[in-house]
Amino acid sequence: MEFVSPEGLRLDGRRPKELRRLACELGCLPHADGSAQLQMGNTKVVAAVFGPHEVTNRGDMVNDRIFINAEVAIAGFASDRKKIGRGDRRAAELTRSLRGALEQTVLLEQAPRSQVDVFVHVLVADGGLLPACINAAVLALAHAGVRQRDTMAACSVAYLESTPLLDAGAAEESGGGAVIVAALLQAAEVLPLLTVDRKLPLETLEAVIELAAAGAAAVSQWMKAQLLDHVQKLAICQAVAR
Amino acid sequence: MTVKKAASLESEGKVVLPGDEVLRIPEHGQIRIGPGLQQQGSKIVATRPGVVRVAAGSKVWLDSRQRRYVPAEGESVVGVVIDRMGESFNVDINGPSTAALPLLAFEGATRRNRPNLRTGDLVYARVVVAHRDMEPELSCMDVHGTAAGFGPLEGGLPESVTTSHARRLLSQPTPVLLRTLAGGLSFELVVGQNGRVWVNAPDTAATVAVANAIQQSEGLSEKQAATFAQELLNGLQATRAVKTE
Repeated sequence: MEFVSPEGLRLDGRRPKELRRLACELGCLPHADGSAQLQMGNTKVVAAVFGPHEVTNRGDMVNDRIFINAEVAIAGFASDRKKIGRGDRRAAELTRSLRGALEQTVLLEQAPRSQVDVFVHVLVADGGLLPACINAAVLALAHAGVRQRDTMAACSVAYLESTPLLDAGAAEESGGGAVIVAALLQAAEVLPLLTVDRKLPLETLEAVIELAAAGAAAVSQWMKAQLLDHVQKLAICQAVAR
Repeated sequence: MTVKKAASLESEGKVVLPGDEVLRIPEHGQIRIGPGLQQQGSKIVATRPGVVRVAAGSKVWLDSRQRRYVPAEGESVVGVVIDRMGESFNVDINGPSTAALPLLAFEGATRRNRPNLRTGDLVYARVVVAHRDMEPELSCMDVHGTAAGFGPLEGGLPESVTTSHARRLLSQPTPVLLRTLAGGLSFELVVGQNGRVWVNAPDTAATVAVANAIQQSEGLSEKQAATFAQELLNGLQATRAVKTE
């Protein structure tokens, strides 16, 4: 299968450095303290945030900071692959990476000995699951008013046929090449998360990371515009902002 | 002095996001930063989406939407009793942790004369101790030791709103929404600064109408809220007219 045509077009007609279409809806779950539904291309995820509230398991309580109870679940209807069940390794790995990324951006000292639940459900899986989960979680946390260092965003890059391809879809991710995911805190110029799946030639690493970071920066700008729009509408309604 | 004031007023009313710089720390004078802001080096940065508010030229904070409550000393809250642990009740006040309400923090309470609160009861109390690293402590007495309206809330209907909406309901002058409702109904309303609200009226329909009005007027402007309240009242009167016929 040819991932990049001679004219330089990918399987879905995009250029190598083109992001997929982004869409989000804030506050889609009225019972959650904060919620966001995010679409990156066909990949659709929903994130719900509860807290900060009392810890549910005493053993999880941390004396001087928030305990982030992140949980990612992939719906059985998310892809054409049959659902494996509770022991899904993919969901467990997404959970671990998501918690790690969120611990870098949420201001953990704001509520010691408390817990913030971040539940993310993948409704349609078409590649870029980890970036979508991270981005949706950040939007939901901002909607809930949980204090964060910056508006963190993440993006993936697949390295196929010697070309870095930004924001890879499912077909490109399973094409045999390396898949890199990078999250970015723009103001601090720090990558709180960087994962590399499969193998990548060392000399291409820097270029690939830079592309992923650039993609994350673009997603971060878009997320900020969405949050701004949402807060502005609310504030104008309540005659607070000008 | 003048330089500091100009800098603060510039961002007043501006909508900011986590990571946005709100203002630079001035070389002279003092600035007091409130909720939603954090000092990062020489900048003051927003940590959640909200609107910048400035008071008295030197107090800066963010007005933002939050369902959860951050306990602060002196505020009045509506809580739900969860259980009794030794000499105090464990009360859920919608914050990062449950609060403690001592058995003796009621007017006229002694070791022999204890308040009759059970699990699930609603209580209106004042926050006495609130510190980030400690469990908050409540009291059903004011500073002078009288009940002053605090204590258990019997009957009625609890409702949950965002903390900013609760603040708006408590602001002076009385919001148009509440004035409109009061024009057509008589009801008792307790608004906790923690986003928990309690409504009580002589009949069920009125109680539900007021509770609905308060919860659904979250994102509405003053005018929209007043119109909404008036429509609710009209609907309520119409059903009552049908009943009496």
